[in-house]
Amino acid sequence: MTMAIDGAQLELYFSGYSSTTTTATISTENDHDRGGNWNGWSPMVDWEALSGPLDDFQDLIDSMMDDGALMNQSNRLTPDTSNSMSASGTVIVDEETSCGDDLKGLRLVHLLIAAAEALTGLNKNRDLARVILVRLKELVSPNDGTNMERLAAYFTDALQGLLEGTGGIHSNKHHSETNNGPYHHHHRDDPQQRHHQSDVLGAFQLLQDMSPYVKFGHFTANQAILEAVADDRRIHIVDYDIMEGIQWASLMQALVSRKGGRPTPHLRITALSRSGSSRRFIGTVQETGRRLVAFAASIGLPFSFHQCRLDSDETFRPSALKLVRGEALVMNCMLHLPHFSYRAPDSVTSFLSGAKTLNPRLLTMVEEEVGPIGDGGFVGRFMDSLHHYSAFYDSLEAGFPMQGLARGLVERVILGPRISWSLARIYRVRGEEACPWGVWLAAGGFQPVKVSFANHCQAKLLLGVFNDGYRVEEVASNRLVLGWKSRRLLSASIWTSPSDPDL
Amino acid sequence: MFHAKKPSTMNSHDRPMCVRDSGLVLTTDPKPRLRWTAELHERFVDAVTQLGGPDKATPKTIMRVMGVKGLTLYHLKSHLQKFRLGKQPHKEFNDHSIKDASALDLQRSAASSSGMISRSMNEMQMEVQRRLHEQLEVQRHLQLRTEAQGKYIQSLLEKACQTLAGDQNLASASYKGFGNQGTPDMGAMKDFGSLNFPPFQDLNIYGSGQLDLLHNMDRPPLDGFMSNNHDDICLGKRRTNHYAGSGKSPLIWSDDLRLQDLGSGLGCLGPEDVPLKGDQIQIAPPSMDSGTDLDSISEFYETKPVLQGDALDERKLEASSKIERPSPRRAPLSTDRMSPMINTGGMTQGRNSPFG
Repeated sequence: MTMAIDGAQLELYFSGYSSTTTTATISTENDHDRGGNWNGWSPMVDWEALSGPLDDFQDLIDSMMDDGALMNQSNRLTPDTSNSMSASGTVIVDEETSCGDDLKGLRLVHLLIAAAEALTGLNKNRDLARVILVRLKELVSPNDGTNMERLAAYFTDALQGLLEGTGGIHSNKHHSETNNGPYHHHHRDDPQQRHHQSDVLGAFQLLQDMSPYVKFGHFTANQAILEAVADDRRIHIVDYDIMEGIQWASLMQALVSRKGGRPTPHLRITALSRSGSSRRFIGTVQETGRRLVAFAASIGLPFSFHQCRLDSDETFRPSALKLVRGEALVMNCMLHLPHFSYRAPDSVTSFLSGAKTLNPRLLTMVEEEVGPIGDGGFVGRFMDSLHHYSAFYDSLEAGFPMQGLARGLVERVILGPRISWSLARIYRVRGEEACPWGVWLAAGGFQPVKVSFANHCQAKLLLGVFNDGYRVEEVASNRLVLGWKSRRLLSASIWTSPSDPDL
Repeated sequence: MFHAKKPSTMNSHDRPMCVRDSGLVLTTDPKPRLRWTAELHERFVDAVTQLGGPDKATPKTIMRVMGVKGLTLYHLKSHLQKFRLGKQPHKEFNDHSIKDASALDLQRSAASSSGMISRSMNEMQMEVQRRLHEQLEVQRHLQLRTEAQGKYIQSLLEKACQTLAGDQNLASASYKGFGNQGTPDMGAMKDFGSLNFPPFQDLNIYGSGQLDLLHNMDRPPLDGFMSNNHDDICLGKRRTNHYAGSGKSPLIWSDDLRLQDLGSGLGCLGPEDVPLKGDQIQIAPPSMDSGTDLDSISEFYETKPVLQGDALDERKLEASSKIERPSPRRAPLSTDRMSPMINTGGMTQGRNSPFG
């Protein structure tokens, strides 16, 4: 998408230059001057003033975008340089685009917030929201542009879903397999299913390789588990959402190579599965089980796998578990790793409550870290979500700036759906306080287990292989948080619930 | 350093020492200071490690574990504190200069704390060694675990490929294609399973631009495979040999990439016609959808000779941290060079793409 190749885009930035501009881009539309508007414009739109028909909205939106054109025009070179455009054009473009992009990015954010406001704010106005979204779609594409632009495309898409009411988690029966466009308006429990498996696999592998998110969650939990069961001969792990079982491969390996002359323990994993659609990420829970059994056999670990069905409403019943006396019980709860699908809060609650009654040796919790919620309502959380995923995108780009298409795939297959989920969830619970599960656990009587030096060390080492911008913080004695630059993204915490609270 | 057991000696030149039954060496200063000999210190560090590190261990538990008579909580408290202090400063475990840093820290804290003056260089060296040893342990474990995970993921992808593509034979290119109905060509993505994440090496690798694209387009032996839109697999391989880590990876980071090495992940590829050495191969994306998928993947693993110079320099992780906000980056040049060759349908079947 450099200027040299994409003539249409070239025109976007040089629209002011030549008189033969034909592309109907924003910049050209607003040539007749709105400059004055921009100076006085602020993100807080005077909604009351908007009572007219659609045209008014058009103007409003145009004015929001106008400064982009202004910036370009002010940096304009004289027309006679257009001859050598292709040669020097790229240079000019770079200078311009850096200003233009940042500004455009900002404008996009404003538009997104405006749309969110229109959707849910005090002055709810679905028409306005619709118009803003239309405009946004003109401006952004999930395939090209800067991080902000692509991100905006997905957020636009998600908002569109909310607007149309197709944004609900359980509301969609659509099965569009052929994703001809980057936009997918519909999401279900497992949106990855809508993508082809090869996409899913590829995207997952890329995500794994390009970022530490998945490994951080898995390894931190595993290290805590290893330490907690160091002297046990029988270990039983109950996994809330086993997905492909990837987390357990490294744990198994660690178990067979325990030092100190301790015998290799027997590992038992019970995977909770949802009744109904059992088709997950790749394959079913049973397949995961078979895979794990094979892997354990290959490294010589005594192992058995069990499946335990959740109720139809995804409630967990502890009584459905098969427990063995003398085994160390561990409850594992991976919630928001990027490629994980959405789980209803009630289901998670039932799992955690059930866990409490079982007094596990350890409970590991990995969840996304959200910013301070306050009472920003939907818009506040929307902005927080925007910030969150923006950091995500940035982290991927910083590590792999040249691999835009690869990132695009990850964005499309994994992050895009996540964004839709997140927004849908925020939308549905607006008005309620959403608290992180860690807080819930603390309030529920679980006791924190300190993150060991080795665990913290491991996390730092892991991050060290990636970009410098990642950081791990020990925000509490039992909690490590992975973040990108100043934004915290993923939290891993460790808990226990001893049967004798005086221990 | 270590004083053999002998009756108390008053040495006017040295610090006056007195040896107790348990082998502890105490000074006979007005303030009796325990002399932390190398051996004693080693026992201390041993105990601390057993207890789970300096943060977990307490003077009480250390005392119990060490089981040294005459050792008091007081001794242990102060020693533990110094030990912890010594451990704190370095946060960057991936830093090569860690050894120097630790030694430096030790010396600094030694200089500042009067009690440390009595410690010998030897003891400090040993402590540094210990610390490094611990970190190396963690590092080693991390590497093993990452490898295990990689192996597992690879088997995952292999099985998935098998499921989708039917029976596969490593040696033969019996890839069965599918219609657009929904099963994608797994082959496209298996290669990612074989991508083993390289711990502890610079992720330089990904951008250093030495990736070859392995693309096997000729499928005359494949029946029913080529629907018009159904194109093929691309496989990335890194040519550079920076990385020698998880050697189990089927996607071996070496020049001599053999298809067999790629494991059954390549079952979907026809191994016979894979020119591997340095040839860059065209990629064709599966066109089941937007067609950006393999573009992305191939781009991810592609070679960018044009950018090589910059890429290698800029790909240092440290440098890349300078990228804060999304900079006005368009898709990389090489992608653009590639894009004319990538169509979403009816891919040309050349094996050697003019990527050079």
